[in-house]
Amino acid sequence: MTGGFDAFWAVFAREVRGAVRSRTALLLTFVTTLVVLGLARAGSGPSAGYVPTVVDVLLVVEVLVPAVAFAVGYRAIADEAVRGTLDVLATYPLSPWTYVLGVYAGRAVVLLVVVLSPLAILGSLVAVSAGPATTVFAAHRGVDSPLLFVRFGALTAAFALSTLAMAVAVSALADSRRRAILLALAGLLVVVVGADLSVVRALTGGVGIELDTLVALSPASAYRGLVFETVLSVAYAERSGFVSVSAAVVSLVAWGLCSVVVASLAVRARRA
Amino acid sequence: MTETYLRGTDLRRTFGDVTALAGVSIEIPAGSVVALVGPNGSGKTTLLRILSRLLSPTDGSVTYEGPPAVRPLGYLPQAPAFRPGFTAAETAAFYARLVDDDPTELLERVGLGGVPDRPVEGLSGGMTRLLGIAQSLAGDPPVLALDEPASGLDPTMSRRVFDIVEALSDDGHAVVVTSHDLPLVERAADRIVVLDRGAVVAADTPEGLRERTGGPLYETFTALVDTDDEVATRTEATR
Repeated sequence: MTGGFDAFWAVFAREVRGAVRSRTALLLTFVTTLVVLGLARAGSGPSAGYVPTVVDVLLVVEVLVPAVAFAVGYRAIADEAVRGTLDVLATYPLSPWTYVLGVYAGRAVVLLVVVLSPLAILGSLVAVSAGPATTVFAAHRGVDSPLLFVRFGALTAAFALSTLAMAVAVSALADSRRRAILLALAGLLVVVVGADLSVVRALTGGVGIELDTLVALSPASAYRGLVFETVLSVAYAERSGFVSVSAAVVSLVAWGLCSVVVASLAVRARRA
Repeated sequence: MTETYLRGTDLRRTFGDVTALAGVSIEIPAGSVVALVGPNGSGKTTLLRILSRLLSPTDGSVTYEGPPAVRPLGYLPQAPAFRPGFTAAETAAFYARLVDDDPTELLERVGLGGVPDRPVEGLSGGMTRLLGIAQSLAGDPPVLALDEPASGLDPTMSRRVFDIVEALSDDGHAVVVTSHDLPLVERAADRIVVLDRGAVVAADTPEGLRERTGGPLYETFTALVDTDDEVATRTEATR
């Protein structure tokens, strides 16, 4: 008898294989690379070092990553529902949780390749074009380092995974491809600007929560804050205090986990 | 006496104000083919989906009484579609892996053993239906629910599909199938359940139904689903 892990692996492998054969992932990687490298080149960041490069690309990456995540995930489950595959899979010993995790993990591999490949190329570009001061590991404030860029990549990966979970949840809630597109656009707006606006509104309303914690509630703000706190902070003499690091980490994890739960419940609700 | 594998009792299903199914009871015995026939909108697919546990009944219950199985019920949707970019063998392998089955054997059972490397987009309508049947057989489920397995197929392919259906019942499976193809149903089914407006208006063997009018099955079918009053009377009588 097959186990839960075998079922997970079957779904996971199918997602990865499907993406590898599709040209969409390749196209997304190409476009993302062009945008990121073009932006960094325009800002002359690579010749100045890792931290200046992060400053150059941060704002665009903050918008680009959710856009790519939604592009990778918005049809992940909606297409299966439209094809009737979810009905068929309901007759197999495959729980909604296992199925959603398999889909999510498979798409996550694809997304990480799309998002991290341009950053890896950009990091390599900095390594060959920046001055010798950038090759040391930062031990104190004011020192540039490849380690800081790796940290930026890791935070970007975490942000990407969190927003992908939201895209998969949106996909599970859609009952047609058209609705999947509409929900994905709405979800993207929420991630990119909606949550930030809510935070601002909450601030003006005086909700009694510390500013650095409140900012962390929005996934984009949490990501931005973590980059400021753990990557760009070397440029500041004092602690920046943009965001509560622990609150921002919890926020990104919570957005991701809650979205996976929502997706699983939506798939389960389709069953009798 | 033949063992019942699947039983639906007093099944009722409404969609808003519309009653799609009104108190239907049905048994699917082992080693037999039960065909659900009726005009469009009569509740065939609703009943099949409820029996397959893909749709909850508003009232009533479905019980599986067959042998313990990894996958008690296999399901073929009305219009099976598969993820593009994969071959027939890869598609079968995906479903087979979920229940630890042999994908090559699944394809061979439905006559697709010769085209394992063909992309699913390149399969004809009939071949796609056969791949759907192969999928429904994964894990060797004791009960098979097939929604219009021969719909839209040419006569040769339709016969081939129903040959497979007959072979499955000969192997001891309990098969419930919806269809509009009365000649094929007449040939393959052990029992025919006629539905109209969500109710069973007749349930008998093909011979028993034919004897009602003395003509072909089509005449009995037309007579059964002809008028509202007749339907209502027979609904009460055949419950």
